[in-house]
Amino acid sequence: MSATPGHLRLLISVNLRQAWRRLQTAGEQNRLLTGVIFLFIAGYFMLAFWLFYRGMRFIETFPGLGGLLVERLFYLLFASLFLLLLFSNIVIAYSNLFRNRETQFLVSLPIPTETIFQWKFLESSLLASWAFVFLIAPLLAAYGLTHHQPWHFYAITSALVLLFVVLPSVGGAWVAVNVARYMERKSFQVTLVLVAIVTVALATIWFRPEPITDEMLETRVLAVLDRMLMKTRFTMFPLLPSYWLSTGVLNWAERAFTGTLFFTLVLLSNALFFGFLAFTRMGEPFYAASSAVHSRGALFGHWDWFHRWQSGRSQKALKIGPLEKILRTVLPRLSSEYLALLVKDIRVFWRDTTQWGQTLMLFGLLGVYIINLRHFSQQLTNPFWVNLVSFLNLGACSLNLATLTTRFVYPQFSLEGKRVWIVGMAPLGLMRVVKTKFALTTISSLALTLGLIWLSCRMLKLPNDRTLYFVFGVVVMTFTLNGLATGLGVLYPNFREENPSKIVSGFGGTFCLVLSFLYIVGAVVLLAVGSPWAKRGAQPIEILVTCWLGFATLSMVIGWIPLKLALRKAAQFEY
Amino acid sequence: MIELVQLVKKFGTLTAVAGIDLAVPRGEFFAVLGPNAAGKTTTIKMMAGLIKPTSGVARIAGFDVQTQPLEARRRLAYVPDFPFLYDKLTPWEFLRFTGQLFQMSEERIRRGADELIPRFNLEPYISKPIEGLSHGTRQRVAIVSALLHDPEVFILDEPMVGLDPHHARVLKDILKERSIAGMTIFVSTHQLSVAEEMADRIGIIHNGKLIAVGTRDELRRQSGSDGALEQTFLALTAQEANLAEENR
Repeated sequence: MSATPGHLRLLISVNLRQAWRRLQTAGEQNRLLTGVIFLFIAGYFMLAFWLFYRGMRFIETFPGLGGLLVERLFYLLFASLFLLLLFSNIVIAYSNLFRNRETQFLVSLPIPTETIFQWKFLESSLLASWAFVFLIAPLLAAYGLTHHQPWHFYAITSALVLLFVVLPSVGGAWVAVNVARYMERKSFQVTLVLVAIVTVALATIWFRPEPITDEMLETRVLAVLDRMLMKTRFTMFPLLPSYWLSTGVLNWAERAFTGTLFFTLVLLSNALFFGFLAFTRMGEPFYAASSAVHSRGALFGHWDWFHRWQSGRSQKALKIGPLEKILRTVLPRLSSEYLALLVKDIRVFWRDTTQWGQTLMLFGLLGVYIINLRHFSQQLTNPFWVNLVSFLNLGACSLNLATLTTRFVYPQFSLEGKRVWIVGMAPLGLMRVVKTKFALTTISSLALTLGLIWLSCRMLKLPNDRTLYFVFGVVVMTFTLNGLATGLGVLYPNFREENPSKIVSGFGGTFCLVLSFLYIVGAVVLLAVGSPWAKRGAQPIEILVTCWLGFATLSMVIGWIPLKLALRKAAQFEY
Repeated sequence: MIELVQLVKKFGTLTAVAGIDLAVPRGEFFAVLGPNAAGKTTTIKMMAGLIKPTSGVARIAGFDVQTQPLEARRRLAYVPDFPFLYDKLTPWEFLRFTGQLFQMSEERIRRGADELIPRFNLEPYISKPIEGLSHGTRQRVAIVSALLHDPEVFILDEPMVGLDPHHARVLKDILKERSIAGMTIFVSTHQLSVAEEMADRIGIIHNGKLIAVGTRDELRRQSGSDGALEQTFLALTAQEANLAEENR
């Protein structure tokens, strides 16, 4: 099938027009909120730039080592981002190619399947990569300024980044097509869990620091540094695309233009080659995969053991499932309607692999980092660093939680969609439905956040009173962030959309993310300043009380008020 | 115009369509009936090229949907029960978009739109965003966009869902006109009245098999009942169910 360029151009233009109108509608709906979002974006850029700039200046002060460390950080950062980009591309390409109504509509029209794939590939790449660009722009700007780079450094860096993002996009689309072709949901879930466990285990083993004695630190700093750098040497593997990007950027900064030219050409040739393959050879596999997905058949369907297992499952279909049994045992006094709602929400979450897959990834990585803290605790003897790391951990944990609450809790109410009347008309009423969702998500989140914060305190060998302080802080923050996401989810519902990521990308979802981040920054600062252990000398009691009151007020305003408004709306909801 | 040869679709162990043979000539209005999960929508999806058949061939206007998909789809229009529309476009923009996808000239698009828009009473909505339209109006937009390129074969899955009696009548009239003019129409429906009133021939699919095909009178004779289509349908599907039970 030969691709018709006219079709691709048409699809791009019609979707651009849609996107532009969405932006216009958002702007017209609430100018104040739009302004807040733009301010947030500007604030993010400034804050991120300032942090990167200060960080790089700090590292550069290490005599003889600064440049080396910055360089290695570049390699490490781009290698990690490459993996995250790949994962993000797999998830987004899968949803966009196989769980998207536009794709189905287009397949029935006289458009070559290659063109449909090309359009969806471009759309997925854009959706998956914008955050990467958003993340690294302040870093590259900070690097450029600390190293007094001329304008052309930024131009060549932008070009290299654009070439770089093509590769994980192609890889992600290829994996998504093959996953769709050969795996049904169950096998994909099992594989994902296994891959996640193996990755976390490998990362834990690989990044486990070796014991370093004080004597070594005093006399053999270079040897210690060398060992540390050895651990990250894999990021300098010459066949990694992140290596080509990092080396290209660093070479240009050092005026080694020939080196940059070489790596630009390497990136360009790979981007062109794999991009060409994606544009010309993926139409047929995509169509086969699309047919397989909508036929519900899969590779496992050809295997006898799978049939036996499935027939065993269908025999058990009318029996009470294990989840319900567990909930009945754990919560014996819970009435049946609440139980039904809980079981439904947990099942829907579990059956949407992309949802818990991302949760696993986010908290898994944070868990690996915190577990490894114990190896550093010997070196973290300075109270300033212990204090700083403990609050940074609280911030990281809350930011992870905010990502999850915005991504998963916010769209919960909208996902009831056209079926909202089913739960709304049930005897328990919509208000209790919202309360149950809030309770379920808060308790589930607490299991994660409390676990991680407790672990962080243990790893940093904090005494019990300080551990309690962090536990109290994270509990309040978990309630607040869940209250905010649940509340805004009800206040800004989108019943038309069935794809949670699209619900989140709307106005309410963006607003939820912005407020969550602002709240976390405010809450962590207030808790840090209001910490009785913040300074060596005792903090004046007025400062402590002001901070605690500020924290409580902020949490009430951000979490409780949206939830209260949402409950009021749910009580008067018109179907 | 539509030709299905030993069309089979299996979903793992389940056979959704079990070897359907059917030929619908040019200009025929063919209605397909069947209980839920009988295999009607799966058959239609294979005809529209949305899914691949496990075996067998589906041809549209002489073109194999799998090996000559573009030629087949150029001659085909398909409206599912819940059609996809771009919410942020207006109906007019959407009509132009689909016309352009079918590589129609601007003049042909306008001519087609000028004829169809008033007939479906879409003038008041033509420049309003689709997202604000009711289900019935959206359905009308989807039908107009499908008819715009004057397809040789028109496949509709439950076309009357969401349409009020007036617009259901308009659709029936247009379909009848087009059918007389040579368009082949293939409709899947649960509304027996539509099949009874409109169809030249009716097919009944049950358990993935085409258990009966013919005019209303032929089906009546085949079923042994002389009442309305409802009784014919119930009798034929009951016979098939009994047969399947005996074979088991």
